[in-house]
Amino acid sequence: MKKRLLALLMAMTLGAGCLTGCGRKPAADGNQASGGDTAAGGEVVINYPTFQIGVNTAAPVVAQLVQEFNEQYKGKYKIVIEEIPGDANYLEKMKVMISGGELPPVVYGGGYKVLDLALAKDLVVDLTDYVNQDADWKANYNEQALAVNSRDGKIYASSSELQLVGYFYNKELYAKAGIDKPAETWDEFFADCDKLLAAGITPLSMDTGDGAWCTQLLMGAMIATSGEEGLKFMETSQPTDYNLKAVTDAAAKIQQAFAKYTTKDAVGGVYENAANNFFSENTAMICNGPWMIGDFSDTTKTDEGFADKIGCAVYPGPFVYYAPLEGFFVTKQDDPKLVEASVEMVKFFTSTHAQQLALETQGMLPASPQVEVTDQAKQKFPLLADFLVMANEVETRSNDFTSNMFPNVTDVISQQMPALATGDITPEQFAQALTDAAAKNQ
Amino acid sequence: MKKQLTAKEGVLITLKYLFMLLCVLVALFPIVWVIMSSFKTNKEILSNGLALPTQFNFNGYRDALQISPILQFFSNSVVITVISTFINVLALAMAGYVFARCRFRLKNALFLLLSASMVIPTTSLLHPVYLVINKIGLTDTKTALILVYAALSMPLSLMIMRSTFQAIPPSLEEAAYVDGAGFCRTFFQIMLPCAKGGLASAGVLAFLNGWNEFTFALVLTSSTSVRTLPLALGYFTSSFSFNYTAMFAAITIAVIPSILVFAIFQEQIVNSLIAGSVKG
Repeated sequence: MKKRLLALLMAMTLGAGCLTGCGRKPAADGNQASGGDTAAGGEVVINYPTFQIGVNTAAPVVAQLVQEFNEQYKGKYKIVIEEIPGDANYLEKMKVMISGGELPPVVYGGGYKVLDLALAKDLVVDLTDYVNQDADWKANYNEQALAVNSRDGKIYASSSELQLVGYFYNKELYAKAGIDKPAETWDEFFADCDKLLAAGITPLSMDTGDGAWCTQLLMGAMIATSGEEGLKFMETSQPTDYNLKAVTDAAAKIQQAFAKYTTKDAVGGVYENAANNFFSENTAMICNGPWMIGDFSDTTKTDEGFADKIGCAVYPGPFVYYAPLEGFFVTKQDDPKLVEASVEMVKFFTSTHAQQLALETQGMLPASPQVEVTDQAKQKFPLLADFLVMANEVETRSNDFTSNMFPNVTDVISQQMPALATGDITPEQFAQALTDAAAKNQ
Repeated sequence: MKKQLTAKEGVLITLKYLFMLLCVLVALFPIVWVIMSSFKTNKEILSNGLALPTQFNFNGYRDALQISPILQFFSNSVVITVISTFINVLALAMAGYVFARCRFRLKNALFLLLSASMVIPTTSLLHPVYLVINKIGLTDTKTALILVYAALSMPLSLMIMRSTFQAIPPSLEEAAYVDGAGFCRTFFQIMLPCAKGGLASAGVLAFLNGWNEFTFALVLTSSTSVRTLPLALGYFTSSFSFNYTAMFAAITIAVIPSILVFAIFQEQIVNSLIAGSVKG
């Protein structure tokens, strides 16, 4: 009997030991689900979840900023990174945390519309007074940055990155088709597509999956340059009515482009397929932003010398996408010291220094009008420098088609775009599907 | 003396072997494809997914180890999955035995209720489980994942263990009781060794569920010292950037243990899955 009791006791101790060993580590290690902590020495620890790790183009910039912040505020504040691999996973986790009413102290909104979800749960700290009291910080907000980061006249977020998007083309393939420069009107653009086809070259890289990024850029540019109605629509945040002539006309042209001007894998394909077709010189054009420039010289994706063949252009019209990305925001926490630390972090991450670093390291365009594109950046990213010259001359600008949408409408794009591409639905039905999805938010 | 096969029998045997060969090819193709892809460049993977690699090097494996803390995640996965499997199998073996042998009110209703939890989608459990784990202070701990994984495999393990114990003749227990063994001793020393097949089957399925689980690992953990292997795969793809070579290398590293576990215990799994199915 004693022997059995002893065995049972030992088994229970072993089980408890296993679970204890697998338990939470001390808070100073930074291993927390959210929030932060005041460590023994009074240092406030900010747990910062980010997807900008691994192969993400912004990973080196974030790593350096964290290192600099921790050195500058040593003994006072400390950022501990929580790595969330993959943007979709990041968004999933933020949504679960928002629904649980608990977010990490600092959240990067990016292009993921997290700010509105957090605001709906009253989790976001109003930054208006902090920004107004700091002249340098306030100077980083231009009209567009204020619009993106404010709701009802209150500033809730701070941007660090500008989304400035045109398209890239292969100069060698253009020359083969007898095209000497990018098109200035949409008629010229489609005439160039026909010339490329006649030369045996597929003109466009397109996609339908994951929000149809490349395709929606092309479509949005057509809408914005179709006239006053189209431009007004593209400047509208969270539009509710897509049954406009500008939208259906653009959808009809996109349908035609899928039928005639793109690769077979475009229907059902995602960005990676579209990009690979451009890298492999299967297509002559791709709509995308400057963050793609680094890939042109990556020999695991393209052949040696590919970067020299690439030119950049603004859309016919002329038109260019120009919008600061929704930035960092601070969330409400029980500890006021943690909120103060988080505000300092957001200020640091969106400072002119941080934006300059991102520009010179990765070619990310700054949201602040105070940051100049230095010669160093121009030398490192000559294609970006060329594009900036062109983009600065363009007066017609807006945010992109899907960034303005309600989050659920973006999902509908992925569902309806393949049907539009294959002709299973008409452009009018496509517009109606988007309108119906938008109506669910009212 | 061997019987000479007729032409018809020969054709049937040939067709049988062709069918088996086809099954083997279908089963092996994804594994071989992933391993082959881990030696190809991104361009080769996206341009012609079925072609052979133009050169064999281990750059993808080197990148996989550099980009993500895959070895740390691997060891976390081993610890979490082994402990959760042990807890799952032990607890559900006891429950399965009670359901198979004891008579009590609402037994069938209770069994149906527990089994029905199998049809609840995992995503719908995410939010309540997150709230509970957060409330009891287990967020970002291995314990949280161990408890969740042990619970997630509960319905399947319960069904397997109940049918296993039902297939064992009650005369064994009766003999044990006649010899003076108590309920616990009968269970641990007589019945459990007889249910080895079922235990292995439930264990392997619980292990595979835990080893491959992604969503709870993502939401309930935040630090490298706790996270599991499936999360490592997210390090290789992001918006507008990707490294498929490294991703396939990481998948190869990740799936090998699952394949080994299944290969070693495949006989027990198959045997105990069909155990009880012919019980009259």
